[in-house]
Amino acid sequence: MNLRWAVLFMFLLFIVESTIVPWLIPDALYGRLVPHFVFVFVLYSALYTGRHTALMLGLFFGLLQDIVFYGNMLGVHAFSMGLGGYLTGLLLERKRSPLLMALSIIGFASLLYDSLVYLIYKVFRIAQEPYAYFLIDSIMPSLFLQLGFALAVYIPARRLFEGSGKPSAGQEE
Amino acid sequence: MIGLIVFIAVMGFSLGKRDKLSWPENFIGDSVTFVQQWFYKPAGYIAGLFEDIRMMRDIYQENEQLRILASRYARDRITYNFLQQENERLKEELDFTERQKKMYQYRYVIAQVVAANLDPNNSAFKINLGSTDGIKPDMAVVSTDGLVGLVSRVFPLYSTVTPITELNPDSPNPRAISATVMDKEGKSFGIVEDYDKRTGMLLMNRIAENDPLAEGDVVITSGLGNVFPRGLEIGTVESRQVGDYGLTYTAAIKPSAKLDRLTEVFVVIPSETGTSGAAP
Repeated sequence: MNLRWAVLFMFLLFIVESTIVPWLIPDALYGRLVPHFVFVFVLYSALYTGRHTALMLGLFFGLLQDIVFYGNMLGVHAFSMGLGGYLTGLLLERKRSPLLMALSIIGFASLLYDSLVYLIYKVFRIAQEPYAYFLIDSIMPSLFLQLGFALAVYIPARRLFEGSGKPSAGQEE
Repeated sequence: MIGLIVFIAVMGFSLGKRDKLSWPENFIGDSVTFVQQWFYKPAGYIAGLFEDIRMMRDIYQENEQLRILASRYARDRITYNFLQQENERLKEELDFTERQKKMYQYRYVIAQVVAANLDPNNSAFKINLGSTDGIKPDMAVVSTDGLVGLVSRVFPLYSTVTPITELNPDSPNPRAISATVMDKEGKSFGIVEDYDKRTGMLLMNRIAENDPLAEGDVVITSGLGNVFPRGLEIGTVESRQVGDYGLTYTAAIKPSAKLDRLTEVFVVIPSETGTSGAAP
């Protein structure tokens, strides 16, 4: 039942990402700092619930992002988010992940996600800039934003996802 | 593996130009944007409040400038009225068809921005006008300062606007805007089709060698080709150099419109008779 709340909360985050966050970002970083708060939650669900939940959440919210901001093509974010969540789950689903472990995984996964999105756009010749420029200009600042957010929501997110999905995990606590 | 193939198929399919979207896309797009609009505007108001307090000092100067502009406008208006009457009389005498007369009559429809996407490769924002309001893909979107972007996808109640920073001649469906220079309308011509993210400049290509375009000139859309309306301000020329092949010139243009954190924009709708004959 907790998963329902998680989805609702993630939807709210998705809304906030594109409405309130643009007003909070300083001028110099506008267009470079990209919030992926929903993706951070997808990763938490991969770490603490399971890879299949993460895959479904990633596909769903990725597709939502794709459709709502349909500029060039569909499916980019759905693919990257789903894959990111699934791979993370595959690697670390059964292990216990303390704070530092979770944060570093989220950092790496965010890098992977941004790079994957960039790569897809590059293949379809929508992105023009070389990867090195994009990495410094946008991915790196965004990474810190994601890490900061992940740290802020670590405890509530962990509670939310550890209780949901796998009933066995909930009983152990 | 199957997932990969499916996704590549979806991406390829959705890449091209589509005038109509399917109903699930319409439904999801519209309902989510409906929720988004409750958040974007209040946040904007609060941010704007702080901005206003900071800007208080500049207002006095701005007021003075506006007064000078207003007096100039009053003078120009008299001349404009005479010229317009003259022009209309000449058109009557030369037997212009109804379509030709309406070619340059545009309707400016105000739209509220309801959400903005921060993804640097696909920056876009949503406006609260859709196909039910007569919006079509590739319509120009302007703010009070100048050209902002082009409508990219149209949902029934909302539509997505791609800012001019996304112009890219290499992309699968490139958009190019024919442009000219204010006060040298007949003599200058170029095509704005590229944006350099590193310098923040629009690039205007294919300028002839003997073109009078110079630094500081104001670039406007020329309306040639009838895809984009004419007379929309794009930006000012920052520099001019020899283009890629040495035959033409390329100018770097600083966009005059603010492209981030917009709240209100105008969609330029050409008159019906004008577009039906001019569709490419």
